[in-house]
Amino acid sequence: MALLELENVTKRFGGLTAVDHVSLELEHGQFVGIVGPNGSGKTTLFNVISGVFFPEEGRILFEGQDITGMPPYKRAPLGIGRTFQIPRPFGSATVRENIAVGAMFGTLGHKTSVDESLEIADAIIARVGLEAHKDKAAGTLTPVEKKLTEIARALAMKPKLLLMDEAMAGMHPSDIDQMVALIKQIAREEQIAVVAMVEHIMRAVVGMAEKVIVLHQGAKLVDAPTKEALEDPRVVEVYLGHPPEE
Amino acid sequence: MKKQITKYYPLIPVYAAYLILFLIGVNVEGMWQLVAMLLFYCALGQAFNIFLGMTGYVDFGYVAFMGVGTYGMALAITRLVGFQGLGLGIIVIGFFLALVMSSLLSVAVGAVALRLRGAYFAIATIGVNEGFRFLIEGAKIWNGTEGMIFTAELNRILGREAASALSTFWADVMVLVIAALAAFVTLFYMRSKIGYALTALREDEDAAKVMGINVTKFKIIAFITSSGFAGLIGATSWALKTPYVFPPEVFEIHYTIEAIIIVLLGGAGTLLGPVIGGLIYGISKYYLSIFMPGFQLLIFAPIIIVIIIMFPEGVVGMLKNRLKGTALGRFII
Repeated sequence: MALLELENVTKRFGGLTAVDHVSLELEHGQFVGIVGPNGSGKTTLFNVISGVFFPEEGRILFEGQDITGMPPYKRAPLGIGRTFQIPRPFGSATVRENIAVGAMFGTLGHKTSVDESLEIADAIIARVGLEAHKDKAAGTLTPVEKKLTEIARALAMKPKLLLMDEAMAGMHPSDIDQMVALIKQIAREEQIAVVAMVEHIMRAVVGMAEKVIVLHQGAKLVDAPTKEALEDPRVVEVYLGHPPEE
Repeated sequence: MKKQITKYYPLIPVYAAYLILFLIGVNVEGMWQLVAMLLFYCALGQAFNIFLGMTGYVDFGYVAFMGVGTYGMALAITRLVGFQGLGLGIIVIGFFLALVMSSLLSVAVGAVALRLRGAYFAIATIGVNEGFRFLIEGAKIWNGTEGMIFTAELNRILGREAASALSTFWADVMVLVIAALAAFVTLFYMRSKIGYALTALREDEDAAKVMGINVTKFKIIAFITSSGFAGLIGATSWALKTPYVFPPEVFEIHYTIEAIIIVLLGGAGTLLGPVIGGLIYGISKYYLSIFMPGFQLLIFAPIIIVIIIMFPEGVVGMLKNRLKGTALGRFII
């Protein structure tokens, strides 16, 4: 059974079709990059999967269960974790508390106690290398640390699917390589499928994804293994326009 | 086990402040009136903080829950006065009724208004307070505009002397107990999942949702708890201390504003904040009205502005940040 299945999902805002009949399938533990220029519907697609918006048409199945109309707080415990384009940690809470929130509410039945959650948070903090900052208020961190906190918070939910919205934007290339390596390693160990959404930092996609889905004006343009997809003339055209006539 | 106890250390400064207040009131001649007023403000702040401080939502109709609690006590006293055998039991029933009525109203209001966010919620709640007052007056519920005066009933139930001791001393002691209880519940919430959920939703409601938090549920929990305490404060400070109830007095938005000021002055979402806020507010109000009667608001407004600008997180919020990581830090949250 596929981990995530989208069947003809469409989301409109008034007259604008942000996501246009998108179907896709994702296996457990798979790495997928979603690529597309600004306004191609990537973030909306993420919002539809995590439940921030409900689609007008189509169905979303998670491990075979229909979650199309399910509110986001019920989807998260099933194993859908996400990070935001601009990191949104809980500013007044410490890094440790932020991550503990993920452990507390991100699993089915919310059975993890406060103390257990804080222990889980400590383990993840050590894993991602945030020890020096764990008792700082998350709002006072640098952007890169905020991103790491957000990823750690999502990992504390023990997700089966991790949606990363522009997780690497604004980062130094060496930081990106480090982050990609870290996420890759953790995801492999924990069997997490990762969907990373990227506008133009191909470095992250190439380093991570097994397959790439290219969105253009809300519709799926290409769905192929990474190298093949990025060399596809249609993709080059979407990004760079028509090649000059010889 | 030791860990469980250290978790409750922050209650020490709160309870110490209440104890000192109480001792001053009992031992220093002529101070009880001031102490009673301070206790009222501390209790009000402590109760409101559970909602305003922990969720970040501003409820401009908060006083309505105090008003309904006042009615709860008034109804118990006036309707049960015939059952002399119940004695003090009538007061207990009154508290129960105040708690139930204010909680029920908060469920009704919360289920609708808590779906709104930020300013929209605040505006909707002003309507609730005024609407409820006009409903009581217009539909002549519970004697409508005439209100209820139950001095005679209270005297019949408790005897003249006990009734007078109740309104001049014991009612204030009960307010102290309510404030202490509210502080305990606040800390209990902070240490439990409820507190983590409330912090998360206060900081970013959408992020909280995708983290698996049912934000509406936790907002309603905070709202009911806070409103229940408001009902108890109304039943004590307003019904038992002054045995009458008139709609314009118990639905006076002025008290909501005072509660907001106290919470923000002290530090929204902190445990000790409402105590400090209540003391600063109460003491300045009391002495300004003695030394500069009529001008107190004119003087008080700039003082509040200065404090809010100097300590945007409230006095205790600032202290908390300063003391983080020190030995004292464990006691101030």
